[in-house]
Amino acid sequence: MTSKGTRTTALTVELRPFPKPVATMPSSRGVRLLFWCVLGLLVGIPWTTGATTTSAPSAAAMATTDPELERIAAEQHNCLRCHAMPTLAYRSPTDGEIVDLSIDRNALAHSAHAELSCVECHHRSYTRYPHPRRAAPRDFDCLGCHRDDADPRFAWDHIETEFAHSVHARSEAPNAEGFSCQSCHHPHRFRTTQIGDPLTWIVQEHNQVCLSCHTQLISAASASHDWLPNRAAHWDAVRCVDCHTPADDHANHRILAAEDSPRDCVGCHSADARLLARLYHFRSEEDIARTGLIAKAIYNESYVVGMSRSPLLDRLSLAILVLVVLMLTAHGVGRYLVHREHKRSS
Amino acid sequence: MNAVAHALLHSRLIRRLAIAVAILLFVLLAFYKFVYPVVFDAYIGKSNAPLTYESSQPLTPAQFDALAEELSQEARRTAAEAIVSETDNAFARLVKVEMLMNTPSFIREHEPTHLKYFREAGILQYEGPKTCLQCHATIQVQHHDGRLSRVDTLDDLVNSVHFKLQSDTGSGFSTVGYDGRLVNAEGSRPIPVGKINRACGIPGSFSWTGWAALIESRPEAAHGEIELRSEGCGQCHIGGNYQPASEKMMPIGDVPDVAKEGIDCLICHSGEYDMNQRYVIQDRVGLRWNQDRSLRAALTVGRVTTRNCLNCHQHNMGGDAYLHNEAAQALGDRHRRLLHSGAKRGNPFSPEDDVHAAAGLQCTDCHVPEGHKIPRGRMGVDLVANDLPDVEVSCVMCHTMAPHNRSEHRALLNGHLDRLACETCHITELQDQNVVLRDWVHPTWDAEEGIFTPTDVYRSGEVNKGFTFMWFNGNGTFLANALGNHPDGSDEYDPLMQQLAKIDDPEVIAAVRDKAIELQATYPDIDVDAYVRAATDPLSQLTPEQLAQRRAMIDENLREHMNEGTSKIYPFKLFNAMMYEDLGNQGPFGAMILPFDYKSYYETGDAAASVKQAIQDPIVQRMYQTPFKLYMMDEFMAYFGVADGWQTNYPLVEGELRGVEPRWMRQMGSLMVNHGIQPQGRDCIECHAPNGILDYRALGYSEERAAELEDLDIVTNLQPN
Repeated sequence: MTSKGTRTTALTVELRPFPKPVATMPSSRGVRLLFWCVLGLLVGIPWTTGATTTSAPSAAAMATTDPELERIAAEQHNCLRCHAMPTLAYRSPTDGEIVDLSIDRNALAHSAHAELSCVECHHRSYTRYPHPRRAAPRDFDCLGCHRDDADPRFAWDHIETEFAHSVHARSEAPNAEGFSCQSCHHPHRFRTTQIGDPLTWIVQEHNQVCLSCHTQLISAASASHDWLPNRAAHWDAVRCVDCHTPADDHANHRILAAEDSPRDCVGCHSADARLLARLYHFRSEEDIARTGLIAKAIYNESYVVGMSRSPLLDRLSLAILVLVVLMLTAHGVGRYLVHREHKRSS
Repeated sequence: MNAVAHALLHSRLIRRLAIAVAILLFVLLAFYKFVYPVVFDAYIGKSNAPLTYESSQPLTPAQFDALAEELSQEARRTAAEAIVSETDNAFARLVKVEMLMNTPSFIREHEPTHLKYFREAGILQYEGPKTCLQCHATIQVQHHDGRLSRVDTLDDLVNSVHFKLQSDTGSGFSTVGYDGRLVNAEGSRPIPVGKINRACGIPGSFSWTGWAALIESRPEAAHGEIELRSEGCGQCHIGGNYQPASEKMMPIGDVPDVAKEGIDCLICHSGEYDMNQRYVIQDRVGLRWNQDRSLRAALTVGRVTTRNCLNCHQHNMGGDAYLHNEAAQALGDRHRRLLHSGAKRGNPFSPEDDVHAAAGLQCTDCHVPEGHKIPRGRMGVDLVANDLPDVEVSCVMCHTMAPHNRSEHRALLNGHLDRLACETCHITELQDQNVVLRDWVHPTWDAEEGIFTPTDVYRSGEVNKGFTFMWFNGNGTFLANALGNHPDGSDEYDPLMQQLAKIDDPEVIAAVRDKAIELQATYPDIDVDAYVRAATDPLSQLTPEQLAQRRAMIDENLREHMNEGTSKIYPFKLFNAMMYEDLGNQGPFGAMILPFDYKSYYETGDAAASVKQAIQDPIVQRMYQTPFKLYMMDEFMAYFGVADGWQTNYPLVEGELRGVEPRWMRQMGSLMVNHGIQPQGRDCIECHAPNGILDYRALGYSEERAAELEDLDIVTNLQPN
């Protein structure tokens, strides 16, 4: 956590009520469940009480009272005077394609790099216009900040190893040449997914990254993925990386080729769903934030992902469970009292 | 067949009914075909008759061969000389040209195509459309969406804006009435609108009252001798009749066949059309415009070229007095056409003054025709008809959104495209003779031409004098005011109360004052101060109630149309005119202007008498009667911003004008300028400086942003010293 760029993430982590993702909880669930229930009853904590923390919005951190942030804002403004022009672009003399130099002011303000001054990455030579014709060798160097990231999810060694095995790194296709971090993580727009982001939005945002290159997939004539029943519904609800990366407890950067990616329906449509470790991880976290830790601990994984999750059914079965426990306790207490009475009288 | 039906079919009653219906239909059809046209023409006081042209002469086969040989030689020589132009030795060039000209494939390639066709068909005389239609009865049309269709040629042309001077009712306008309604939008009652019935202060007349006139001029050089001169709207319009195609204004009826015979195919399609044949002639029916129907013109037909378009359109672009207006060098073998010295736009299309013309581009490269329908783009500020309202005509179609390639600062320049139209930087000035303020009420004697002309109180091609910058989203008002707004949607930008309603520039005001003093010598009644105020602050002519009403209509009716779509800053030519107005039909944006009769105006300089003459035209009289009121004038007035309908009080009573006063229009019109494109755009510092040419605050920028735009360190650093 050395760079300012990850401040947003750091805040999120610090404020997270439960240090480990729920999906990795131990499997002795029944015991725990009973334990929590009884404890809950005894201590009298309502089931739905929970942390009210939501993800820390980057805008909040941009409060203008911080002189450092003010300086950064002023520097950004200086660059954005030109770069916020939506048509700031030129045609590349080599291939005639339009090279877009514009930066969406709004997207930047909500991005992971919102609180960075532009020259942190675009080194000093960019403080003046006209800019140097070629980027300096150390410009646009993600590692400068990201190499020593303490958060295991952002540990560079992992990412580097994973990426080296990624289909993008190994491919010999001409358009995979020069594939780099920025190819997916647009530095002026990229924003780590926050707990609380709607799943549909996450799916859309993440898939857009892939589809910006893999445009042929969305053409009407494309036969790709047609083995999926109701392909459109899958694409709307699942991220590409949910199947095209190995299952892991963090975002794995090893993008799998089509032939290495799973095709089994049960992988997702089962109790121990693959999605729980990935996309639905966000939902689990969100649920904790919204409904509380205990409720989450009780409800989570109660049903197969994709099936209906009826709160009424939840409450009803829990009520029955509690009644049974109460009755058992009452029965036990009764038996004990009778036993004691019997003992005393004898 | 069942018994009942059988009985019915054979019943005498049914048979009688069928016969009666058939007769009724026949009578109606006969009425529509034969009686209605006659009645309609009588109603509007127009006539049609078979049209003949002197230039349409039959040739003998020998004459034909001689002409064909001459045209063939001419075309082949031009092509051959172009090819061998790089050969240094003059004699070698000559020999090469001779060889090329007689090479069979070269002859096939370069000889005018119709020499062969006419020879084979035995055509020895050009007789107008009927000659063309022998072969071109139908044409294949490629539409902008890739569709192909085959259409009847004559029908396609007759229903184009070039012939009928209006669009099909119900489409083709991006014009908003001051009442807030889109003109002829779906669901409204469509009224005919277009140049056919648009009142405008630049020509000073209507298409009916100013179609064709023979003026008796007394030029100084002729020492009192009278010279007949031609004048009128018809000179630029392809119908060769005695009037515009008024029949097309009605929901039923068509232009008579004899009128269609007057269509001038060759002015657009001939490579050798002689503009000296374009003058007014008088026959026993009336005045009309002559045309070149010579076989020479007919034999050189082909696709429309820029030269053809400019036969008419340089008049409204560079102007008649523009140095490189070719058509204006050929004023007529007889009754020479009068030149209009003040230009409508002053933005010429010619190799000398436009980069696209210099590159050899043809008009039709951007305005890609679909048959005889020609697109003028999706943006239009003046109430002009549009054959293809959905077809785009714009710079970015070719230049993309990243048009700058040469400059080191190309990305920065491209960055401006989001806010600025290309024309804003690439039209740096208009022609000097661009007219801004025209006074029709106080004519000036033009000794050289020997006529009275309207007085151009102010002409300028300079920035912020002859034209200014406005936000524009493609919408315009009923009186040609560009609509748009700063993208922040604030109410700060207020063109109908500011940019178009006031002239603040002290230099312009001083020039107007000088002209007023000059006019005072001829017209002692002129109060110079009042004159200058009305001309430069036309809102001063409104009462406080009218001003309040105007304010409310802008806010309530126009704002939403200003905020539609995407606005960019465009240059707009400014124009205002003082004319006689019917104050009985007045609103907060103006009153109905009355036309001038060119003949009496030019000959006598008596403006009021000329108005009296013009409004006696039957169609103007009909305009002041109930059928026209109900058919179109009430709706017209609603768009005009007059709530209580058209008042039919005819403004001429016992030979005197009633309720008629001279007035400046209540705001300037703003006309799009899109030609005269300069390859080198404006310098950054022209806008990005205090007192630059863009008035950011008036354009609705916040004080903070305006200050920032006026003082950009980047621009300062880029300055040479």
